Amino acid sequence: MAVPQAPSKPTLDASGAEQYARLLEEARGIQGVSLWQDAWRRLQRNRIAMGSLYFIAAVSVLAILVPVLPLQSPLDKDLRDRKNLPPERETVRLGSRDELRFAGNSLAGELGEYEAMLDELQQQVALATGDERIDLQQRLELTRINRDPLRKLWNNPGPIVRGMLRLRVALFGDWCIPSLFGTDDLGRDVLSRVCWGARVSLVVGVVATLVSLAIGVSYGAIAGYCGGWIDEAMMRFVDILYSIPFIFVVIFLLAILGAEDRKQWLEERGINQLVIFYVVIGAFYWLTMARVVRGQVISLKTEQFVEAARVIGAGRTRIIFRHLIPNVLGIVIVYLTLTIPAVMLFESFLSFLGLGVQPPDVSWGLLVNEGTQVITPIKIYWWQVVFSGMTLAMTLFSLNFLGDGLRDALDPRMKNR
Amino acid sequence: MGGVVGFLLRRACWVVITLWIVYTASFILMRNVPGGPFDSERKLPAEIQKNIEARYNLDQPLLTQYFDHLGNILFRGDFGPSFRMTDFTVNQVIAQGFPVSASMGIFAITFAIVLGTLSGIVSAVRRHSVWDVSFMTAATLGIAVPNFVLASLAIVVFVFQLQWFPAAGWGSLRQIILPALCLGAPYAGYIARLTRTGMLEVLGRDYIRTAYAKGLGERRVVMRHALRGALLPVVSYLGPATAGILTGSLVLEQIFALPGMGSHFVEAASQRDYPLALGMVMIYTCLLLFMNTMVDLSYAMIDPRVKIETQ
Amino acid sequence: MTDRLLQVDDLGVEFQTDEGVVKAVNGVSFDLAPGETLGIVGESGSGKSVTNLAMLGLIPQPPGRITSGRVTYRGEDLLRANTQRLSRIRGRHIAMIFQDPMTALNPFLTVEEQLTEVTRLHLGYTHDEAIAHAIKMLEQVGITGADKRVFDYPHQFSGGMRQRVMIAMALSCNPDILIADEPSTALDVTIQAQILDLMKQLQREHGTAIIMITHDLGVVANICHRVLVMYGGKIIERADIDSLFANPRHPYTIGLLESVPRWDTSHSDKLRVIPGQPPDLAKLPPGCSFYPRCTYREDRCERSVPPAFERPGGGDFACFVDVDAVKPAEERP
Repeated sequence: MAVPQAPSKPTLDASGAEQYARLLEEARGIQGVSLWQDAWRRLQRNRIAMGSLYFIAAVSVLAILVPVLPLQSPLDKDLRDRKNLPPERETVRLGSRDELRFAGNSLAGELGEYEAMLDELQQQVALATGDERIDLQQRLELTRINRDPLRKLWNNPGPIVRGMLRLRVALFGDWCIPSLFGTDDLGRDVLSRVCWGARVSLVVGVVATLVSLAIGVSYGAIAGYCGGWIDEAMMRFVDILYSIPFIFVVIFLLAILGAEDRKQWLEERGINQLVIFYVVIGAFYWLTMARVVRGQVISLKTEQFVEAARVIGAGRTRIIFRHLIPNVLGIVIVYLTLTIPAVMLFESFLSFLGLGVQPPDVSWGLLVNEGTQVITPIKIYWWQVVFSGMTLAMTLFSLNFLGDGLRDALDPRMKNR
Repeated sequence: MGGVVGFLLRRACWVVITLWIVYTASFILMRNVPGGPFDSERKLPAEIQKNIEARYNLDQPLLTQYFDHLGNILFRGDFGPSFRMTDFTVNQVIAQGFPVSASMGIFAITFAIVLGTLSGIVSAVRRHSVWDVSFMTAATLGIAVPNFVLASLAIVVFVFQLQWFPAAGWGSLRQIILPALCLGAPYAGYIARLTRTGMLEVLGRDYIRTAYAKGLGERRVVMRHALRGALLPVVSYLGPATAGILTGSLVLEQIFALPGMGSHFVEAASQRDYPLALGMVMIYTCLLLFMNTMVDLSYAMIDPRVKIETQ
Repeated sequence: MTDRLLQVDDLGVEFQTDEGVVKAVNGVSFDLAPGETLGIVGESGSGKSVTNLAMLGLIPQPPGRITSGRVTYRGEDLLRANTQRLSRIRGRHIAMIFQDPMTALNPFLTVEEQLTEVTRLHLGYTHDEAIAHAIKMLEQVGITGADKRVFDYPHQFSGGMRQRVMIAMALSCNPDILIADEPSTALDVTIQAQILDLMKQLQREHGTAIIMITHDLGVVANICHRVLVMYGGKIIERADIDSLFANPRHPYTIGLLESVPRWDTSHSDKLRVIPGQPPDLAKLPPGCSFYPRCTYREDRCERSVPPAFERPGGGDFACFVDVDAVKPAEERP
C-alpha cells in the first residue's frame, strides 16, 4: 500500500510538528487543480472535440441570430421565376415578387406603409367611441393579421422574432444574401430555410433532452437513493420499457395526437405540435439517463472518498456539493451531449416520415425529406438534399464528438463504457 | 445447462409480461381516444356505420372487445381485420411485409457486424495507419450521416448515375442490397468504433502481455486472446442496434418503395388503422425481445465470469 | 566470462509522453549465470520492470523506444532479433510471470487452454500430451485436483492459486530463465511466503535462472544470490546478497535497508523513511539523480554523474561519497 505512513508515535515535539507541516505543504503543492479545470484542460487537448465545440457554438449563435441576418424569406414561394434554381450569386431584394404587391416592391417600403396604416388606425381607435370604436378595433386586428408583411414572409413571428426582423430591415433594408444554396421546388431559398430549420431542430433537440433529463435524473436518483425493493421495481420497469420499440409507440402516439379534432383541442390549450413533440420524445429518452444516474448514486453512496470526506470532518453540505454533485453532474452532462444528437436524429426521422415538424415550420429533417422527394431519374436537384443533409450530419457529428470528448475529459476511467 | 434453461424460462415470463403490458397500453391508447378511423372524412349513414362497427367488433363494450381481441391473438394468432386495407387481415399484411423487412434487416445487421468488427480490429491492431484513419473517418461519417440522407445520396449516385442497382420495388435480391447497405451503414460505423476502442483497451491489458511473453504471434494473440474481450461491448450494442435497424427500416422502405412492414406501419399509424398498427407494434416488440435474449445469452457464452442464472 | 547465460549491455529505453521524453532506463548493464537468482530492487518507476520487458521486446513501441544497448542470450542479440525469432525464445527459453495474477491470466479462456497453448506451440505437443503436461505442471505447483481444475476459468481460482497457475505456465517449457516481476507483491503475506518457497523449490528441481524484480528487500534476502539496486533508470549498486546487506555503499541502498523493520534493532529506534519523491524521469538532474534526496550529498554530486566504483569483494556502486567516512547530513552538528 502506498499510503504515506503517519508518524508511528504521534509525538508533538517541535521536529515532529515541523515535519508534519512540511508534509502538508508538499501535499498542497501537489493538488490544487479542480475536477472541472482538469477536465477542461484535457478537453482542450482533444482537437476534434474542441473543433466540435466551436462548431456547435457557432451554429447555436447563428441559429439565435437568424432573424437579424439578411436572409431571404424561408416561406415566400415563387413558382414562376425561382423554381429549382441551382446555387447562384445574384442578390435578391426582399419583397420584390410582384404577387406580393408590396409598396415599391420592397419589404422596407411595405413595412413603412403598414406601420403608417396601423398608426392611423390606432389614432382613430383612440378618438372613436361606442360601436364605431369596436368596429375600428376589429379592423385594426384584421389589418394586423392580413396586411402585416412580416407575417407574409415569415411564419407567425413572435414578439422577439418580430423585433429582430425589424432590426434586420433597419440594418440591411431589402438586401438579401443570394441563393447560395439554390432554391427548392417551390422557389424558396434553401439557405434561408436551412438557417431557420436550425432553430427548430436545435430547440427540439435541447428541449426534448431537458425533458428527458428531468425525468431521468429524478427517476434514477430516487431509485438509487431508496434502494431495496423500490429500486428493484423501478429498474424492472425501465427494463420493460427498454424492450419496447418505443419509436413505434412514439409514432403511434404522434399519429393519435396529431389527428385533426384532437389537434384543435390541444391547440386551444396552447399545446401545439412542437410541444407534443418535445414531451413525447423526452418521455421516451430518459431510460439511459435514469440507469446511469442510478448507478452513480448507488456507487457514490458507498464510495470511499465520501467516507474519507466524512472521516476528515466534512459537513453534509460539503459532501453533497463538493463530492456528490460534481460526480453525477459530469456524467449527466456527457449524456446530455449525447442525447441531443439522438433526439435531433429522431426528429429528422419523424419529420421525414411526415409525423414530426409540420409545415410551415421548417426543420432539417423536413428539408432533407423535401429534397429527396424531388429526386427523379430525369433531373437531380442535388442542392436541395446536400446542404440540409450536410448541415444535419455535421451538427450530429460534432455533438457526438463533443460528447465523447467530454466523457474522456471528465472521467478517463469511463472511456469505454 | 440447467442455468440456461432456467434463464430462458425466467426470461420467457418477462417477455410475456412485457408483451401484455405493451398490448394493453396500445389497446387503451387506440380505443380510448375519440374519433375512430371511420368517422374522420364524411358522415356515414347510421346503418352503414353500424354494420361497419359490427364487422370490426366495435359495438361491444370495451372490455369485451379487449378480451375478444386478446383471445383471438392468443389462441388463434389472429390480429383481426385491417381497418383500411379492406379484404386484408392484419396477419396477411404482416405475412406479406415480414419477409421483405426481415431479409433487409438480416442483411443489414450482418453487413454491419462483419464490416464493423473487421475494420475495427484492423484499425486497432494497425493503429494510426492509413487503414485506421480511413476506416475511422468512414465510420464517423457513417454514424453522423442519418441513413435516410445516405439513402437519398446513394440513390442519386448508384441508381441514377452509375445504374448499378434498380431504383425501387421488391422482387429480387439485388433490389434489397442497396437499402440494406444504407440501413446497416450507421451501425457498421458504430460497431467499428466500438470494436476499435474495445480492442485497444483489451490490447493494453496484462493478460495480453502475458500472451506475448508466452511467445504467441500477433495474429494468435489478437484472434484468440483479445477478440472476445473486445467484442463484449459490440455484443451488448446489438440490442440497441436491432432497435435502430427496425426504426431505420421504416424510412428506408419508404425511400426505396419496398413493400415491407415498415411502410405499412407508418401508413397504418397515420391513417389510424389501429389493429394493423397494434399488430405491428407487437411483432416489433417480439423481435426486439428475442434479440435481447440472444444478446444476453451470447454475452454469457463469451464471458465465463457472467453467471446467466443471476440475470 | 563464457558461462554467462544472459548479458545486458548499456540498455536504454525512452517513452514519449505528454510531459516530454521519459528516460525510463538509462545505460543498464548486468549479466546472469545459469541457475542463479538475481534480484533487481528499486522503487516503482525505477526502471526495473521496463528493463526486463525491453529485453524480450515487450515494450509497446510507440510510445516506447529502445535507444541503446545489447541483450545477448546464448550469443544472440535479442534486441536485433526479428519478431518470429523473439517469439521462439519467449515462453520457450525465457519466461515471465507478472505481478498481478488477477489480471495476468486471460479471463475468457480456461486454464487448460492457456497452459496447453504454450507447449503445443513451442514443444509441438499434441492436444492430449499438452493436457497431460498441463496437469503435471499444476500438480507440481501444488494445485490439488489438478486434473479437474485444469478446465476451470481463472476467476474460479484464488489469488495465490492463480499465481501458481502463472508459474506453472511459465515453467511449462522448462525455460532457462524465469523473469519474475514482483510475483508476490499482490498476494497476502502468508501466500507470498508459499509462492517464494515454491519458486525456490522449482529452481532446485529445474535449474532455472531467475531474475526476481521486487521492491521488497525481504524477498531479496529470502531468495536471491546477487542484487542490483536500481534508481532513476540506472543501476546504482550491485553486490552479492550477504555483502550488500552487511556493507551497503550507496546512500540509497542504505536508505532502503534502514526502511526495513528489523528484529535486532531496539524499539526506540525510529524506522527511517527516505525523504522526498522519486525523480521525475522526464526532467533528470545533470548530476546524480539521487542528489535531491541524499543525506550524504556533496557539491559535485549535483553537477556530475558518479561513475561505477568497485566494491570491496565484488560488485560496484555509483557514488562519490565514502559513506563510512562521512556522517549523513542530518546527523551533522
